[in-house]
Amino acid sequence: MSKVIELKVPEIGGHTGVSVIEVFVAPGDAIGAGDSLIMLETDKATMDVPAEAGGVLRALKVAVGDKVSAGDVIALVEAAGEPVQPAAAAPAAAPAPSGDADIECDMLVLGGGPGGYSAAFRAADLGLKTVIVERYGTLGGVCLNVGCIPSKALLHVAAVIEEASHFADCGVAFGAPQVDLSALRAHKEKVVGKLTGGLAGMAKARAVEVVRGNGRFVDANHLEVSLTAGEGKDETGERRVIRFRQAIIAAGSQPVALPFMPSDPRIVDSTGALELREVPGRMLVIGGGIIGLEMATVYSALGARIDVVEMADTLMAGADADLVKVWEKRNARRFDRVMLRTRTVGVTCRPDGVMVKFEGEQAPESEQKYDLVLVAVGRRPNGKLIGAENAGVAVDERGFIAVDRQQRTNVGHIFAIGDIVGQPMLAHKGVHEGHVAAEVAAGHKRYFDARVIPSVAYTEPEVAWVGLTEREAKAQGIRVGVGKFPWAASGRAIANGCDYGFSKLLFDEETRRVVGGAIVGPNAGDMIGEVALAIEMGCDPDDIGKTIHPHPTLGESLGMAAEAFDGHCTDLPPQKKR
Amino acid sequence: MSEMIELKVPDIGGHDGVDVIEVFIKPGDTVAVDDSLLTLETDKATMEVPADKAGVVREVRVAVGGKVSQGDVIALLEVTGAVAAPAAAKPAAAVQAEAAPAPAPAAVPVAAQAPVAATGRVELRVPDIGGHAGVDVIEVAIAPGAVVALDDTLITLETDKATMDVPAVAAGRVLEVAVKVGDKVAQGDLIAVVEAVAGASAAQPAPQPAVPAPAPAPTPAPAAPVAQAAAPVAAPVKAAAVDEAGFVKAHAGPSVRKLARELGVDLGRVPGSGRKGRITDEDVKAWVKAVLAAPAQAAVPAAPSGAGLDLLPWPKVDFAKFGPIKTEPLSRIKKLSGANLARNWVMIPHVTQFDEADITEMEAFRKSMGEELKADGVKLTPLAFLVKAVVAALKKYPQFNASLDGDQLVLKEYYHVGFAADTPNGLVVPVVRDADKKSLIEIAQETSLLAKKARDGKLLPTDMQGGCFSISSLGGIGGTAFTPIINAPEVAILGVSKSEIKPKWDGQAFAPRLMLPLSLSYDHRVIDGAAAARFTSYLAQVLADIRRLML
Repeated sequence: MSKVIELKVPEIGGHTGVSVIEVFVAPGDAIGAGDSLIMLETDKATMDVPAEAGGVLRALKVAVGDKVSAGDVIALVEAAGEPVQPAAAAPAAAPAPSGDADIECDMLVLGGGPGGYSAAFRAADLGLKTVIVERYGTLGGVCLNVGCIPSKALLHVAAVIEEASHFADCGVAFGAPQVDLSALRAHKEKVVGKLTGGLAGMAKARAVEVVRGNGRFVDANHLEVSLTAGEGKDETGERRVIRFRQAIIAAGSQPVALPFMPSDPRIVDSTGALELREVPGRMLVIGGGIIGLEMATVYSALGARIDVVEMADTLMAGADADLVKVWEKRNARRFDRVMLRTRTVGVTCRPDGVMVKFEGEQAPESEQKYDLVLVAVGRRPNGKLIGAENAGVAVDERGFIAVDRQQRTNVGHIFAIGDIVGQPMLAHKGVHEGHVAAEVAAGHKRYFDARVIPSVAYTEPEVAWVGLTEREAKAQGIRVGVGKFPWAASGRAIANGCDYGFSKLLFDEETRRVVGGAIVGPNAGDMIGEVALAIEMGCDPDDIGKTIHPHPTLGESLGMAAEAFDGHCTDLPPQKKR
Repeated sequence: MSEMIELKVPDIGGHDGVDVIEVFIKPGDTVAVDDSLLTLETDKATMEVPADKAGVVREVRVAVGGKVSQGDVIALLEVTGAVAAPAAAKPAAAVQAEAAPAPAPAAVPVAAQAPVAATGRVELRVPDIGGHAGVDVIEVAIAPGAVVALDDTLITLETDKATMDVPAVAAGRVLEVAVKVGDKVAQGDLIAVVEAVAGASAAQPAPQPAVPAPAPAPTPAPAAPVAQAAAPVAAPVKAAAVDEAGFVKAHAGPSVRKLARELGVDLGRVPGSGRKGRITDEDVKAWVKAVLAAPAQAAVPAAPSGAGLDLLPWPKVDFAKFGPIKTEPLSRIKKLSGANLARNWVMIPHVTQFDEADITEMEAFRKSMGEELKADGVKLTPLAFLVKAVVAALKKYPQFNASLDGDQLVLKEYYHVGFAADTPNGLVVPVVRDADKKSLIEIAQETSLLAKKARDGKLLPTDMQGGCFSISSLGGIGGTAFTPIINAPEVAILGVSKSEIKPKWDGQAFAPRLMLPLSLSYDHRVIDGAAAARFTSYLAQVLADIRRLML
């Protein structure tokens, strides 16, 4: 057995903030008592700080340029071969009363979703002793378990079903699909299992401890975990207290429930819809955002007829109208009704179906009967569920936690990331925020400086956009020029049967730098990354247009959109030169 | 779970090297809060040091007869069970003054408790301010009702060395301010209570991102040593603010932005040299160089200002034109001491008083004792006599044992004498503390030990602090006199050159006497010429007849 000792800066004459000008040791080094650890420089002299104890250096807490004062920890060493018998602690060792910490760590990450585990892994890689608190049995959060990943497993299947059905036109006819729902569910679960299993292994490899339970802050340095077990998040009644030096709140969000909704197995949220218990005859999707439309795509491909009700003017809010129009045209066949500017006002459950009343511009007069109702009206942050107030962390009335550009909350050593800090509630945003928080916590000067966060609807066809949209540019009074390339002019798109799509790029007319871009069509989400990179790098039309894209691909449409902006795309009819 | 903590000597009134006369604990003992650990004896009183944490003693670091100072580790304690001492260690009361006129110094409550926050309330406390206690609050920047953001200045403190802003480690609305201007505070004292309010933290990157303080990376100062749970304290140093709105628009890729953040560069102000005005890594680095060089250049322009020195720029000469040269960098100590010497030379009106001391008898005595002491391995040096004689002179002329602090003269009642030590790397001035309480032999041993540490580069800052008066002896080398530079904030320094046998008239005849040249530089703002002359003659008298040291 061995024990870890903190080597600290000794009394250095009352100086504070003394510069570290040299560090002689590195993690892994074996050091002897008296060995020099670091060199300090005061206004009067330099001095070596010797090790008070020998051992193997486990973690180094200072770097050249740091300022230290007496008592600051320089390094952690593991004293080798000092037998600490478990019994030795006996004399006064009463069992730790509740209130004391059961676990101590440098970094506590509350929430094991994509943002949380990314933050935890980065923190661990940077030498912080890290603990993740996650209430479910697997890491990965909503995204991996009941969100992005399982929905993509189903959407892929849906896309193939639909593509196969169109193949008769190409001279290849498949029969009508035979859907085995339980096998489909098993496929989805296998996809999820591969990823969550991988995450568990990676946590282990980094010595990141995962404590399973619901966490609540007790104060600014303690979190109490009510342990959970089983399939869901049932509490066992056991508790653990974790003492942390710093924390990252990554507690995510949950679907908004409508207050007037009765409790009925036929009324589900996104998680329920992904369970895929049965294929309904008629399905109502409440909320025309990305999540609702993705699930509509899946259930429609499996044979359900869909109605959508949305309070706003448009489906897929956020995307430019020209993209939505293409999507609508391709998806009109799924829907019996698309009710915009309409609200759901009454729901009653009858044995033969869920009766729903609507009110608004496109509301049908009579109650409608559905076999399944999906409520997908947004997600709300979990800020009010974690006892943040006990730690002094400010949570607004909606449950969001405000952070600065370094992801710090109003309490300096507590960070927050992901859905809980605000829109857009996207995994890839949370991951980047998690990395920033972990690096700042480890003493790095990092900021969330990404300029754009791409959005993708993995519908059929996919719709993807990043940076400014035309609508936003107009609203903000930014003069932008648009370079648009319709896929009707793309050989590959025609060959693939997706000549309805298009790619467009938005350039700032003043700086000529690309400020936005959007794609509608298959694999739009895979291609939008190039536009995001171009925006981050400040590319102009030549940078993109003169980058050779492979032919024939859907991706080359981006190069051509850049050429079209300047009016010299040779794959389009002659344009007016700019 | 358990943790090891260190029990340290509390503030014992600034005494250093206090004798341990009794130790009450041994490894394996279980101690409770306020149990006595050991008894200390200063020149004024004895005091018991109580435990400020409970637990099981794992190791005792002091022994009877040892000497301890504030901050020394007394014992290592394994804390078991509940977080031991709930309240911050009891102040002064715990230090029991048993003898009469004990100065009853306020002990520092070391434990900076983690804010056991109730609903959204955070207590903002004085962070680690380097062990200073009773630090003056000279400014309070907050008032109840005000909203503070992370890193906003709460109060400004002034120590003897510097002023420092104490930043907020949590944002929110100020409910209560616990300090006022003129108060004296120590680490762990409550400054204010804030209530977390939504939106009070640094603004979200909104349309007009008026984001404050990029500030320092929150050096996760691993918290107060005692209450491990205490919140990490951001270094009270603020970088220049970055204009976030400009940063967001700067034509620079992610990697350049990352570099700019690391260097604290406001990208919006950096001109881009890349294609189409793109900012490159090199641009960011060049910007930093330019900014760092700027203050130096700003100091040079000879705009007559009245304040400061309007000096010509340093002559730039291409020495290689006149013959072969080589350059080598100044040693670190040379650079440090050079800056100090230059300041002292220009800021202090120096006068140097020359005198001679007849050390014939002293040297005879020293040499005779030398033979005796050799057996004990002690070398009685002339420096020891000089230190002792200087202490006598300082006692007689207290204005030499003083420092100037604005319009105040600080007169010291202790006698710490520094001596310049020549080392391969440059000049350092270790200090013999409480030279008045030490014997010649003790001083001789201590000076040779300090000189060895100096040569080995092992001197601690504490070894060089607290001097009242310095001695610079070139006697072993040569010279008849020189003008030493005062080691501020001291007010005088004694230079000693090589002693020489000279004919001295004893009233009847010339006698060969060993004469030691003395050169006393003094701060004429504090010391008059007549006083300096009296000081050196008294010093010479003492050295001439060291029996006077016993008076």
